[in-house]
Amino acid sequence: MILKGIGYVDEGLQIEERQNVAFASILARKNQNGETIGELIGGSLREGPLTTILGDTVYIGTGPGSWLATSSTKATDFADNLATKLAGRASVSDQSGAYCVTRITGDRARHLLQRGVAINLHPDVFTTGCAATTVIAHIAVVIWQIDISPTYDIATFRTYSPDFRHWLAHSWRSF
Amino acid sequence: MRIVCPYCGDRDTEEFIFRGEALGRHPGLNSDEYAMFEHVYHRTNLSGKTSEHWYHVQGCRNWILVERDTLTHTIYSARLAKDGES
Repeated sequence: MILKGIGYVDEGLQIEERQNVAFASILARKNQNGETIGELIGGSLREGPLTTILGDTVYIGTGPGSWLATSSTKATDFADNLATKLAGRASVSDQSGAYCVTRITGDRARHLLQRGVAINLHPDVFTTGCAATTVIAHIAVVIWQIDISPTYDIATFRTYSPDFRHWLAHSWRSF
Repeated sequence: MRIVCPYCGDRDTEEFIFRGEALGRHPGLNSDEYAMFEHVYHRTNLSGKTSEHWYHVQGCRNWILVERDTLTHTIYSARLAKDGES
């Protein structure tokens, strides 16, 4: 399997590198929480390793009082806009250049991921809207589940993405 | 050994950095030499149930206060250190 291109398709598995994805980290200021921050952007950010979808942005819980906001956009002012909206309640920094996102979907997606993730991805405990910050083959990843297909998005630090692709190819070959 | 992070859930210890025994607060810059010596160098090094600080570096990046048995590796509790001391 060659992943140098944009993706890969096989029965029960589709792997795709998502393009034009913007990222921003959100850190709550003192005495602020998902509710008080969320009300500035039209909702409430769920506390815990979960995702919240508000408009076209997904907010991924990465720690107490911290979220990773992501959106499919070419816009370069994603983080600036968010920072303006959240001014005074949260610190926002642009992470768009920091991450690469791989989307894995299909019947065999869970099986493939489970080879590298040391947490339980069984649908009883990890389903749509769940997220995890963890490691795959010592590579830091943020995983969130999009739907029950299942579809997962996996963000890795940009410079580690070739290593992550290597892990993917290696794991896939041993199916 | 696995630690149940209060935020992330059940995780392998490879995601954590072990800092050591959970000590009391820093005695303060105006404390005497003996108090500072105690804080910096003295550890009880218990054989059995003890409180420790672990940092969840590959997860939520928070300090976790873990009660662990050093003989059996049984983990009795784990909570965010910032929520208060034991």
